[in-house]
Parts: sequence; C-alpha cells; structure tokens
Amino acid sequence: MTTRAEFLGRVRTEMAKTRGLFSATPSPRPGHPREAAETVRRQLAERWPPALDRFRAEFERVAGVFHRVPSLVEVPALLARIAAVTGAREVVGWEAGALGWDLSAALTPLGLTVRSAPGGDGDAERLRHREEAARAPLGITGVDWALAETGTLIIASGPGRPRSTSLLPDTHVAVFGPGHLVESLEQVGLLLEAFHADGGAAVRGGTIAFITGPSRTADIELTLTRGVHGPKEVHAVFVDTLGGPA
Amino acid sequence: MGTGVKASIMITCLGDLFFPEVGVAMVTVLRRLGVTVDFPGGQTCCGMPLFNSGYHDEAVRVAERTVRLFAEAERVVVPSGSCAWMVKTEYPGLLKHDPELSAAARSLAARTHEFSQFIVDVLGVTRVESDFAGTVTYHDSCHLLRGLGESRAPRTLLRNIAGVDLVELPGSDECCGFGGSFAVRLPEVSTAILDKKLGNVEATGAGCLVACDAGCLMQMGGGLSRRASRVRPLHLAQILAGGRS
Amino acid sequence: MSEKRGQVPFPERAGAALKDAYLQEALGIATTKFIDLRREAFEGFPQGDALRDRARSIKEATLQRLDHYLGLLADNVERLGGHVHWAGTGEEAREIVLRLCRDRGVKMAVKSKSMATEEIDLNEALEHAGVTPIETDLGEYIIQLAHEKPSHIIAPAIHKTKSQVAELFSKELKGRFAADPEVLTAVARKELRQKFLQADMGITGANFAVADTGTLVLVTNEGNGRMVTSLPRIHVAVMGMEKVIPSMIDLMVFLAILARSATGQKLSSYTTLVRGPRLPGELEGPEELHLILMDNGRVRQVAGPLREALYCLRCGACLNVCPVYRQIGGHAYGHTYPGPIGILLTAMLKGDRSVKELAHASSLCGACKDVCPVRIDIPRMLVELRDQLDRGRIAPWRERMVFRAARRGMQSPTLFRLGARMGRLLQRPFLHGGRLRRLPLFFGQWTATRDLPAVAAKTFSERWKDLGTP
Repeated sequence: MTTRAEFLGRVRTEMAKTRGLFSATPSPRPGHPREAAETVRRQLAERWPPALDRFRAEFERVAGVFHRVPSLVEVPALLARIAAVTGAREVVGWEAGALGWDLSAALTPLGLTVRSAPGGDGDAERLRHREEAARAPLGITGVDWALAETGTLIIASGPGRPRSTSLLPDTHVAVFGPGHLVESLEQVGLLLEAFHADGGAAVRGGTIAFITGPSRTADIELTLTRGVHGPKEVHAVFVDTLGGPA
Repeated sequence: MGTGVKASIMITCLGDLFFPEVGVAMVTVLRRLGVTVDFPGGQTCCGMPLFNSGYHDEAVRVAERTVRLFAEAERVVVPSGSCAWMVKTEYPGLLKHDPELSAAARSLAARTHEFSQFIVDVLGVTRVESDFAGTVTYHDSCHLLRGLGESRAPRTLLRNIAGVDLVELPGSDECCGFGGSFAVRLPEVSTAILDKKLGNVEATGAGCLVACDAGCLMQMGGGLSRRASRVRPLHLAQILAGGRS
Repeated sequence: MSEKRGQVPFPERAGAALKDAYLQEALGIATTKFIDLRREAFEGFPQGDALRDRARSIKEATLQRLDHYLGLLADNVERLGGHVHWAGTGEEAREIVLRLCRDRGVKMAVKSKSMATEEIDLNEALEHAGVTPIETDLGEYIIQLAHEKPSHIIAPAIHKTKSQVAELFSKELKGRFAADPEVLTAVARKELRQKFLQADMGITGANFAVADTGTLVLVTNEGNGRMVTSLPRIHVAVMGMEKVIPSMIDLMVFLAILARSATGQKLSSYTTLVRGPRLPGELEGPEELHLILMDNGRVRQVAGPLREALYCLRCGACLNVCPVYRQIGGHAYGHTYPGPIGILLTAMLKGDRSVKELAHASSLCGACKDVCPVRIDIPRMLVELRDQLDRGRIAPWRERMVFRAARRGMQSPTLFRLGARMGRLLQRPFLHGGRLRRLPLFFGQWTATRDLPAVAAKTFSERWKDLGTP
C-alpha cells in the first residue's frame, strides 16, 4: 500500500517538472477571521430587513414555505398548525440548549410530543432517537445562518441538534430570527473561516448542512419530484424578535 | 475612390478549389469599398486540417511556408473564420521554436483578418450597398464565433442591406457537424448534427443560408443539395457583392 | 467489466446510438433543458464570469502547491479523528475499501453518487467480496437495478423512459408500480430509506475537500449525501486528489458556479460539509471516517499536457452542449466519463491508446470550452491528444501516410495545382448537375449522406488574372 510519503513524493516529483500554466493565487483570506466575521455581523444587524425580503423570495423560489411572526409567543400555535397538516402527534426537535428556547414546553400543552436528543453517546439512545426521527412526520430546528442570496438554511450538527431532525421527517421547519440572516455566499465564507478558527475548537458537530429547499430529483425523464431521501417540504419561520446565533 | 488600404487575399484551399466564386465576390466587394486588392501566388492551404488531426510537425512546415508567402502583405483578408483563426491564434505557437519565424507569425497574426471583421473593424464600414434581395438566415461558424469572438459583424452587414430580411436561426451557434476530417471520420454523427442544423434552417423559411466559412458551406450546402432544398447556401461575400452572384 | 463496451468499435457504438429513437428524443430534451437552465442561471448572474476566472485560478494555484494542500488536508482530517489512506491506483483504492469491509464486518454499503467509485468499478469489487453496494442516487439506483452504466455525469438514467423504470422497479422490487415519476420516486424513497437505516457503511465521493479545515464537501439534490454520511457507522469517501482546495473562502467561489453550471440552480438542495466522524457529545454520525485520496493516473498530468483537465468539477455542462454527446449519449463513449471532458479523463486514467478513436469524437466546435465553469480548453487538449497519438504511432499508418502526402501537397503549389487538375479529371464520371453525389472509396464517407461541390472548372488562382486591376 502506498504511504503518505510515497504519494506526496510522487506529487512533488511531477510538480518539479513544471512551473504551471499561469500565475495564479487562491482567494485572499481574512488575516483576522473573528474580526472579519464580527464586521459582517454588525453590517447585517443593520441590513437585515432587505436581506429578509431577499431570503423570502429565494426560499419560495425553491418551493420553501415561508412564515413570519412577531415573537416566540406566536410560534407554538403556528407549529401546531403545520403539525396538524402533516398529521403529526409526535415530532422531533432540537434541545432547548441548541434552539435557544424550549420547544417541548411550547408544544406539549398543544398536544404534541417532542422527542429531542439531549446529546451523549450511547448506542441505545442513538438507536432510539433514530427511530423517533424516522417515524416523526415533522422535524423542528433552528439555523446557524439563513442565506438570503440563495434561500438557504445553514445548519451545523452537534449536541442537542442531531442531523436527522432536518433529514428524516417528511416536513422540516426551521425557526430563526434577524440575527441569523446573511446576505451572500461570500459572507458565509468569512463566517465559516471564523467558525473554524483555531483548528475549529468551537465546532461541536461533524457536519454543516446547507439546505436549499426540499429534497428533489429529476432523474426520471427530467420530471421534477420532491422528497426523494430528505424532506418533501421545508418551512422557514422568521421570528422578528428572536435572538441571533449563540 | 481609393482608401489607400491594401489587402492581400488568402483564398484558402477550399475556397480556391471549390468556391472560387466566393473569392471573386470578395474581390468585387473590397474593390467597391476602395481597397487595393492583390493575390500572392503559390497559395495552397493554411495547414489547419493537419493541425486539427494532430499532425503538428507537418502543420509547422506548412505554417512556415504561409508566413513567408504573406511576409510582404500589408493586410491579409480571409473568407474563412477557421483559416483566419488558424493563422491568428495557432501559427505563433506552432512557430515558437524559431525566433525569426515566431516574430513573423506574430506579425502575420496581427495583419490577418476574417472578411466580415476586415470590413467592419478595419475599414470601419457597416453598410455595404448591394442589390441582393430576399430573406436570409445566418449560421455562426464555430471558429469565427468562438475562436475570433465574432457574431455581430456579419449580422450588421446583412441587416444593413436594403433588400435583405435577416431571420435569426435558432441554434445558430450550434456546430454544423463539419469539423474538418470529423465529417468523414464519423460521417453518421456528422450527418446527424447536420440534419438538426438543416431542420432549423428550413424552419426559418429563409430562402438563403449565409455563412462565413467554406467548410460550413460545404457541409450545409452538401446537405441542402442532397435533400433538394430550395434554400441557397451563400457566403457573406456573395450577398454583399450582389449582382447575379 | 466496463471494458466490454470498448470491444465494439466506437463508430459502430455511435451508429447504434443514432438509431435508438428513444435515446435520441431523451437526449434532445434533456440536453436542451440543461442548456437553457444554465444559460438562464448565468444570464441573471453578472458576477459569474469573474467567478469562473477565480475558480480557474484557484484550481491552478492549488496544483502549484498540491503537495502542501494534500498534506494539510490529511493533517486536518486526522486531527479530527478521521483516517486518511493514499491510493496510487484504482486497484489500491478498491483494496482499501474491501479491507475496511472485511475488518469491520460490513455486509451492506449505501452509496451516494460518486464518479470516482464508478471509475474504479468499486461496486463489482464489493459484490465479488460479498458486500452488497446499494446506489442511492435515484438515477444511479435505477441503472444499478438495470445492470447498466451511467450515461450522463449528472443525470445517469437520462436514457430510460418512465415506463422502463416502472417495469424495472416492478420486476426487481416485486410490486406493480405505475409509470409515474412521483410514484416511482416514492417507491425509491421507501425502499432506500430502509437501506440507509440498516447499512453498515456509507460510501461517497467528494466534490471538494477543504485543506484548511479538513472538510469534505458533498453536493446533492436528493439528500442521500446527508443520509449516507450520518446513518451508517462507517463513512468512506473516495476522492481524486485533484479535488482538494485551499480554504472555505475558495469553496464559496466554487459553490457559486457549480450548481448553476450543472443544473441552473443557485445551489443544489443539499451542500453538506463533513468534518471528521461524529464528535464527542454528538449523538449521530459515523464512528469512523475514512478518506481515500486517489491518484489513478492523475499525478502524471500535473506536468502533463492534460493538466488543465485536473480543474474539472464534474458538472456535466460540457456534455450538454457537445454536438457529438447530444447525438450519441454517454454509453457510446464506452468509458466511465463521457462527453468532451470524458475523452480527456479517459486518456488521463487509461493512457492515450484508450482514446485512439475517441480523440476524434469531436468537431472541435469549442462549445464545451465556452460553458466550462473553470474554462478548461478542451478543444486544445483534444488536438494535443491527437498529436500524441500520431507521435506515438497509435494512429493508423495509412492515415499518417495520407496526412504526410497532404502536407507535401500543401508545401508545393505545383503539386496542389496537379491535385486540382486530377480532381477535375477524376470527378467527371460522378458529376450530376455540377455536384458529386456518389463517390467511391474513402470519399463515399461524405457522399453517402451529402453532396460534394465539384472541383471548380477554374480555381480562384486561375481566375485571378481575369479579375482586372487593381
């Protein structure tokens, strides 16, 4: 089997034979990623209303269903309405620590059972939650960022915020506020640089999912169908007074 | 009414052998525009068929000869986008091994122009008077369109002829299937591509198909003739020359 | 294996494709649709051109420090608890996967779409070793059930009708399903959901790997990329070494143009950034992540004539605009990668001889270069390949003789004129109404379907003196 040294040795041998095709550089990177991210956040704090309009337009373009409520007070009833349409009695959702507010406390009074994954590592718990997520018609998450340019929900996994919540149920609802809005992919790049700074010490989970609308395919005669492997429907609930990312 | 502009015709192999009338029309038009035209003798081919099929050493030798043949020409005008492309973009690379030839190639590249580009960009003329009348549609040949970045000059010249009605060809930027030796290496595929092109051409209802490349005209003309189409394939020069072209 | 297709000569395979009426219709519709979608996407995207220039620059810059970025990527993946394997050949890559399956008791593996695994015929190797590979991309799932190869990089089952798919599902899944894409999608969803939940291993490729953070990037629309990297206990990613890119900033440049080039979408439904196996405290995700960095002919091109082909993002845009691909589809090419870039990739992976015929499966129209998001000059490299075939004496000697003779004709006006005179003489018996309709020998390749103009009674050179002065 080839070793790293052998492999890279071969690469170096070939590299030495050429100066390349033209003078080229990778993208310039922020010298101070955290400061750059802070600057982005400050700019966005002022510009979020037009970013929201853009987000909504793009989100709906990719068949997302958009809702807006003034505060968290209105959210439970809205979620219950969405749940009713899916026929859900049991839903999966992020833990309070990950979401920033208590989903279970909000929905239990409305007759819905919320299954969360508080984190931890046991196989039994993993299997149990997997089954819960597989049979729940509805999954409720927050977001890390809501990207206006493309109508994309950007969601990192981690303790209390398992991957399956936005993946296994037929319907996914993401709840977010002004502090989550980002205008452009370019800004996302800066935020990701900061997110991974210091070797990614602050990163708590193995994936970051960029979700742009429901799961889709056109593999059969180029006919568009939704809900191949992921949700058939994605909802975004914007809460005017919800705080931003932790 | 001379403009003082001198141009040497590079007739191209296909033009010389199969479409001399295009060369004649080109001369007519250029003279009408006040250009002094000459024709360096001993022309054969620019070598593109050799180059495209991968016979680069052979192509180098032909390029050397061509560069010397046109050394004295002030400007060179070519009725073919592909040949003009060959001289302008490939000759310098082919001859880079020899400093003198390399310089000569770069010089020739700068002095060489495709016919429609010569009229519009060098002479600055966008309106050529012609008595040609009829509905025409225009095919963008690949090397003129993509190699030389030209799609407007021929259309401008066509639109500015009083009697001409220019109808856009759907898929005008799609290949006609010639591709030089491709047309005979893979004749079935070449013909399938051609059939698609000619379907589009006939659907325009135009009486005349215009192009700026002998290869395309040979391919498309060959197909039109085989299906006894009423659509006439003509080179831009023939439209501009008018008369009983 | 996949080389079976290579035994029928290419022109015959192409001919068969031209006669396949359904394929012709499907290809026409699909490629036209992709072309329109891409055009619309870029028309509304003025930054597009600049981003393509940047993307090209990033790829070139990466190659100029390839060892550094690969090393950095590996360090970061390992730091996160992932394992990095170095595969010089496709066979090695296969062996690594098989060994992992043996050691970890893997019985079933779910796969997200990966051209790299197609390239090395991984599925057959897995099956042979008693591991069941399940393709989960709907198009790949369909062709897997049909025991076929993909015919397009992005839409592998483009050549199948919905009736054919319904029949296939009915037969293989023991049911009776209507020829309705919605119904069939639901069938696949249900069927494959079980596989995701039960599989021991998830196998993917990677669209990109960010060296700076050790992140693998998967671009899908269906969600199978997320499933395959979250549910099974082991994730194996097989990746061509050239997919590494320096940073997250660079990644955004590629994301901005990749989906637009492939399907006209701003972003695909799912872009998944995978960083190591699951972290402590994270409930879900694989216990193990294995990244297999693969050479398989790529490193030779770092200093080779096909270096630019290493920029390829596998978007499929060049296929959609290629007049040849649009007529014959992917299978006729006879190799894993079809279309314009496919010819170059095949030469890269299997050597010049493998593209002896395919190198000429192009009219050099340049449409591919126009749409390539990283501006690969495919026509130039095809001509280079043709030059190599000549130098390598791989082109047939008869052909080489003809071209050498042609060159002599081009260097001598006397020979050229002689040629014209002979042409005029020899064509006489074949002339009909000033045109040539049925020529013998080699020329019959043209006249089978097209007329040829006659060699003019007087060439332009001969007429020049009658054209007056000045």
